[in-house]
Amino acid sequence: MKRDPHLQNVVSRMASGLLSRDGFLGDDPRRLEEILDADNSAVVGLGVTHEALAATLEGIFEKARAGLGTPVPIGGRHVAVHHEAMGRIPCPWGRCGVFPKGEVELADTATGEAIRFTALSIHMIAEHGFYQGRGSRYRLEPAALALFPPAGSTPAGG
Amino acid sequence: MGTVLLAALVSGATSGILAVLLVVAERYLADYGTCVVDINGGSKRLEVQGGKTLLATLMQEGIFIPSACGGRGTCAYCKVKVREGGPPVAPTETALLAAADLAASVRLSCQVKVRNGLAIEIPESLFLVKQFTGVVERIRDLTHDIKGLRIRLVDPPAIEFTPGQYVQLETPVYGDNPEPVYRAYSIASPPSDREHVELIVRLAPGGICTTWVFTLLKEGDTIRFNGPHGEFRLSDTDAEMVWIAGGSGMAPFWSIARHMREKGIQRKATYFFGAVKPRDLFLVDELRQLEKELPSFRFVPALSGAEGDGWDGEKGLITDVVGRHVEGGAAKEGYLCGSGGMIDASVKVLVAKGVPQERIYYDKFT
Repeated sequence: MKRDPHLQNVVSRMASGLLSRDGFLGDDPRRLEEILDADNSAVVGLGVTHEALAATLEGIFEKARAGLGTPVPIGGRHVAVHHEAMGRIPCPWGRCGVFPKGEVELADTATGEAIRFTALSIHMIAEHGFYQGRGSRYRLEPAALALFPPAGSTPAGG
Repeated sequence: MGTVLLAALVSGATSGILAVLLVVAERYLADYGTCVVDINGGSKRLEVQGGKTLLATLMQEGIFIPSACGGRGTCAYCKVKVREGGPPVAPTETALLAAADLAASVRLSCQVKVRNGLAIEIPESLFLVKQFTGVVERIRDLTHDIKGLRIRLVDPPAIEFTPGQYVQLETPVYGDNPEPVYRAYSIASPPSDREHVELIVRLAPGGICTTWVFTLLKEGDTIRFNGPHGEFRLSDTDAEMVWIAGGSGMAPFWSIARHMREKGIQRKATYFFGAVKPRDLFLVDELRQLEKELPSFRFVPALSGAEGDGWDGEKGLITDVVGRHVEGGAAKEGYLCGSGGMIDASVKVLVAKGVPQERIYYDKFT
């Protein structure tokens, strides 16, 4: 994973109020480099890759998107809903294009816990190894994502 | 001691000379003077002071190129063809422009600095776009996450538009938002109501504009937008129409339907409105009334997640409902407004029903 030498520019674009109301760093006290390093270490320790985790999310995203706002079962335990929103949002890295707004909410039906992610979330994981700062609405923990079956596999329980 | 004083004097003098040189350089070298911007092969010719971006320069001349990001080079809406005189393409542009765009001399006007004469091309419709100031006359809760805004126009006091077009609503500075941003919203009111504009706004989590509308905007507040923009409109045929939209995607159809009623346009139209639960429906009474007043119009709301809610209307994904109702698509036209996912699914079902792809028109949110 190449590190962008212009991370300071990226950080400035991640600030709240610029590309989105809340930005991408949440209330995380760590610097962006520290966030990236910590999550990269976590992913390596899990024996997976950023690209693989992003692909898993992409598969869930597409299933939810096809549901047009209706809950879609994911595996035997989760339900995903795509909430549409108007417009596009650019990647804060600044050179990756724009992505449709709208989020997927993926809920564990046993615990009620839910994670949320967007098309931009998936891109930033795949291309930049960025899972967003703690406290961000779209913060994803690599360890939690690694529990989902890889994209294209048949999950246990259907 | 004398040496120290001398060094201080030399240092001070050098700094002073450099400062003067910088001022002179800024005054004469960064002054691009008057530049001529030729629009559409001589159709319009502007003499402008160089130095600003093309987007800002045109805005100052009353020509409003659509932009959602206020010129920050992040939305890619502000495309303009620069035929002559443009500077080299910036990295921020190559990230957002397709190869075909670049080959056709399309540029992001917020990234093009006016430093010399330019020859550009823009759609003629942009000459009709104006900046409007209005007052929020009414904010109405349509559902738990959708609001209807009714704006009385002040300056100018009236608007001309084609039903289906949209405006760029300005979100003022608030909270951490350092500059105004613009978001596109379809006009929901009919063109006959020239002194007002109605918009339908759905709350997007973390959205800069929708957060402002839902938490800060009040009746009586001043509001600004520019428009009208867009090419989404009814065709000039009499073909029967299939309309598909849910949520805030209703806005252009609410404008078009009321326009049809007022003008007595008898063209057959069936509006399929998709939602999940009964609480997601709105303007149902008004649309049922429209059915009575415009016999060629039919409203078909459908819910995809209403089991046990007492809903006795159409059930299922809106695309499934369309599939059950639409036959003989070869002579029909499709009109769609919504998210990319809804549009893609709707196009698929309409094509499967025989509607020619080139007769499916849509206003994609993304």
